Amino acid sequence: MLQRSALLFVSLLLLALPAAAKDSVRIAFIGPLTGGVSANGIGGRNSADLAVRVRNAESATKYEYELVVLDDECKPNIGVQVATKAAADRKVIAGVTHYCSAVAMGTVDVYHKFGLPVIVWGAVLPDVTSAHDYDEVHRVNGTMINQNEVAAKFMAGLKYKRWVVIHDTTDYGKGHNKYFSEDIAQQGGTIVGTFGVTADQQDFNAELTKIKELKPEVVYFGGLTPIGVRIRSQMEKLGIKAVFQGTSGIVSDAFIEGLGPLAEGTLAFREGAPAEKLPGGQAFLEQYRKQNYADPPEAYGAFAYAAANLIIDAIEKVGPDRKKVMRELNATRDHQSIVGPVTFDDHGQNTVPLITKFVVQDGKWLVWEDSEYAKGKRKLPRS
Amino acid sequence: MSGRAKTSIAVALGILGITAFTLLFLELEAQWAIAVLAVATVVALTAFRLTGAAARLGAAGAAHPRGALGIALGMVLVVAAALHESHFALLMLATVALYATACLGLTLQFGHAGIVNFAGAAFFGIGCYTTAVLAAHTPIPHLLVIVLAGMAAALVGSILILPILRTRGHYAALITIAFGILFKTFLEVNDTLGGPQGLKVPAMNLFGWSFNEPIRIGADFEGSFYLNYVFLAVALAAVAYVMVVRLEKSWMGLAFDAVRLDETAAAAFGIDVARWKILAFTLGNLLAGMAGGVYAMMTGFIAPTNFTFGDSLIMVSIVILGGLGNALGVIPAALLLLVLPEKLQMIQEYRFLIYALLVIAVLLFRPQGLLPRRMRTYFVRNAST
Amino acid sequence: MDFGLAGQYVLNGLMLGVIYAMVAVGFTLFFGVLDVIKFSHGDVVMVGAFVALATFLGLQDLGVGSSIALILAVCVTALAATAVLGALIARFLVLPLRGSPPLNTLLITLMLGLALREAVRLFYPNGSNPKPFPALLPTDAWSLGNFTLRADSLILLAMGITAIVGVHMLINRTRMGLAIRAVAQDPETARVMGVNFERVVMFTFALGSALAALAGVTNGLYYNEINFGMGLLLGVIGFSAAVVGGLGNIYGAILGGFLFAALQTIGAIWFAVPAYKDVFAFAAVILLMAWKPTGLIAEKSAERV
Repeated sequence: MLQRSALLFVSLLLLALPAAAKDSVRIAFIGPLTGGVSANGIGGRNSADLAVRVRNAESATKYEYELVVLDDECKPNIGVQVATKAAADRKVIAGVTHYCSAVAMGTVDVYHKFGLPVIVWGAVLPDVTSAHDYDEVHRVNGTMINQNEVAAKFMAGLKYKRWVVIHDTTDYGKGHNKYFSEDIAQQGGTIVGTFGVTADQQDFNAELTKIKELKPEVVYFGGLTPIGVRIRSQMEKLGIKAVFQGTSGIVSDAFIEGLGPLAEGTLAFREGAPAEKLPGGQAFLEQYRKQNYADPPEAYGAFAYAAANLIIDAIEKVGPDRKKVMRELNATRDHQSIVGPVTFDDHGQNTVPLITKFVVQDGKWLVWEDSEYAKGKRKLPRS
Repeated sequence: MSGRAKTSIAVALGILGITAFTLLFLELEAQWAIAVLAVATVVALTAFRLTGAAARLGAAGAAHPRGALGIALGMVLVVAAALHESHFALLMLATVALYATACLGLTLQFGHAGIVNFAGAAFFGIGCYTTAVLAAHTPIPHLLVIVLAGMAAALVGSILILPILRTRGHYAALITIAFGILFKTFLEVNDTLGGPQGLKVPAMNLFGWSFNEPIRIGADFEGSFYLNYVFLAVALAAVAYVMVVRLEKSWMGLAFDAVRLDETAAAAFGIDVARWKILAFTLGNLLAGMAGGVYAMMTGFIAPTNFTFGDSLIMVSIVILGGLGNALGVIPAALLLLVLPEKLQMIQEYRFLIYALLVIAVLLFRPQGLLPRRMRTYFVRNAST
Repeated sequence: MDFGLAGQYVLNGLMLGVIYAMVAVGFTLFFGVLDVIKFSHGDVVMVGAFVALATFLGLQDLGVGSSIALILAVCVTALAATAVLGALIARFLVLPLRGSPPLNTLLITLMLGLALREAVRLFYPNGSNPKPFPALLPTDAWSLGNFTLRADSLILLAMGITAIVGVHMLINRTRMGLAIRAVAQDPETARVMGVNFERVVMFTFALGSALAALAGVTNGLYYNEINFGMGLLLGVIGFSAAVVGGLGNIYGAILGGFLFAALQTIGAIWFAVPAYKDVFAFAAVILLMAWKPTGLIAEKSAERV
């Protein structure tokens, strides 16, 4: 026994030899770095990395921050595995976690079990913060409730009446289905069919053939970019002429890259403003450009940046202790960040009142008000 | 130096070496340290084999099976105690033990009886889901739940065995593959079992002791709660191991081997081929299901994507790499295949590629695996010379 | 019953069937000639599709405009590259394992499939994202009520059927085909008769892989998208189709392919949740195997006891 301990001790000593001047603190970043939504995950990672670099470069910071990057592959079980890994590592003090709502739902218990405070940067399902009383989980971006309310009002305002809903069968898609269905019913629209599809489904001909029969004006899609791309292109093949309306899940460059000219006229809604219109947005984008990352920050990069900064602020104030950081984060009120003032309510949720409407025009996501569609120069398809 | 002294030294070195290796492998994080460990291990193993010490160790173990098992369990306890604070290392240790149990079941199925099973992960998954449902919704004591989980897997297996019995070779493989995919797709599509979002599983609760509580002895010692699962998993693995090894040595094992090697000849000798295949398949699935049950409680969360075809392939690879039919080989193979990707972070992204290439290399150049299966020795010769 | 809708379903089924049949024919060829299940076949399909995409992008950069030249160049390159890949697999991975238990070959090809998948995911730029596949064929569509027929679907269907018929004629009407059939029936006697065993095997693998590439290109053109994981399910379905039809028999493979597609389509229509179609199709496969253990067109085999 003594032999083994001695061996362990010696090896650990060797590992600890290169000691830095500042104490090192680890922050975990978890997001989908591979798979269909990796563009968002990588954007988030780069943004969190940017935050850490910028703060490390400042001499006033007390600690040297290290970002531990983990890939959750947008799969709940992998998410739980890497979350366990991060949370089990006592040197990790806090985490910037998850873009995929399905994964975020699965991991809340892990963070609570190990007492790791986390801030969600991209998942929009309300249940991630509201379905439990765990003090560890916070969220800096908005939820899908407001998103769908605004979407329903807007689309009804454009005089559409018949919808078909396609949603993925994870909690994310189901959540969108639930909220949008309620909201659109309130606005007087009718949903003529609802279809649940698996998150990695390839062939939608069966569902779309049924949909064609139902003759909807709008196809509402509650899900992420990869199947959004497939559904839209297969809609074209079957000759379905309806407006394609999506959620924050498809607001990404990968969606347009996947569809090319077919993406034209797609509508989507997202909470928060596009990065350049955020209070600290221009500065963020400028710094991002300077670091020469190979990929853009995408839709939620700014939130990841804000989350990382919030954590660093907390650690600077109370030191690298999970419980203290958690209490500090719970007490966040009107904390300034690049996405505006952040306040965590008693469920750890930040309120982001602004919902932006997007439309694809000429291969780019444009804010609706800035587009030619709003001005009447272009028309959306009607069936 | 007399033969006995040499054997004793070999045994002592073996025990020390294996324990040290396991401990360091699970605990070390720095990449260069792992590399050094790898090189040192290879050197040590080669030296061990060349000096004949490995043969002595093997012979000693074969001569005293109960003692060997006791020492092995002791080694695991030592490792667990040394690692009592590291959550993740203990989690990996428990996972290795559980996968080893499931793979022991698979060894029974195709190492001994020759039934190819590409749905190992599916049976593991049946165990997981049964546990999730029973533990969360019924007051059945958790130990019994685990046994029921195993039985559920065995039950489903006994339905699947009917078409398998009627087919041979590749066709039988297809049935298991089809079942594996069917299982995963069914779980994803069906909401009653959680759908793609998965299910949360309550922690193991044994006679009032919740396994999610850390172990506290006195004021200083706080062991990670994973220790509980490590003990349970290792106990399960030990039971599975003893069962498989004893089966192999018995007349039942002979019957299995006969069925595997030549069905027609076995039938000609009066062996009821169907009966033995059913037994092997069912027992194997029982083990896999029980391992799944404990795994579900340990991780607390299961989703259909845990049980894909790829995961079944990992299990099959563990069995092949360890040496087809050799129960002992499953353990180092499981340790390597499950823990190595976690440790080699810098190649974390490339891990599946490297891992596939590794298996290809092994299959091309050393198809018997790490620890080739030994012939049965019914008359144990004296190991000392 | 709305005939337009029914027609749409039939067309969907036919398209899937042709793709599955092409993959299944590959499996059956490999099995016939070497008694081997090459499980990496599905991933070879994927590699073929990616090679085609890469060729397209490369040619586009070079400024080649004409559609027909583009399609031909893309197809030829993809087929040639995968044929070479197939031959290499035969030479270095399958032939050396001829003597060992068939499980080993199955495993080694499974692992190879995994290696191919990972290689594409890691080394192709942005490999883990799904990639849009260019629409190289004319996209005019004709609508009759609820039934929309697109020109490209028709062309793909014709292409697939021609390819299968072509392979069939090659096997049955040419000298090389004769050699393949001889080796499939009895390798030893074939060698005695002067057939170069290794060369025939490599040619068969090359042929099967080229067909796989065509399946991949068809898949890409049909869905307008390819991703690194598409080969896995296609491989399993192709294998199931080949087995259900009867391994070693080309007609069986074709039958199996269309049968599986039919099962999926029926499953999609029947169940309220179309996602159950795969569950239904695979369950049906298991039942079929229980009913007819050696496939629908049974393998005629004699076994030495």
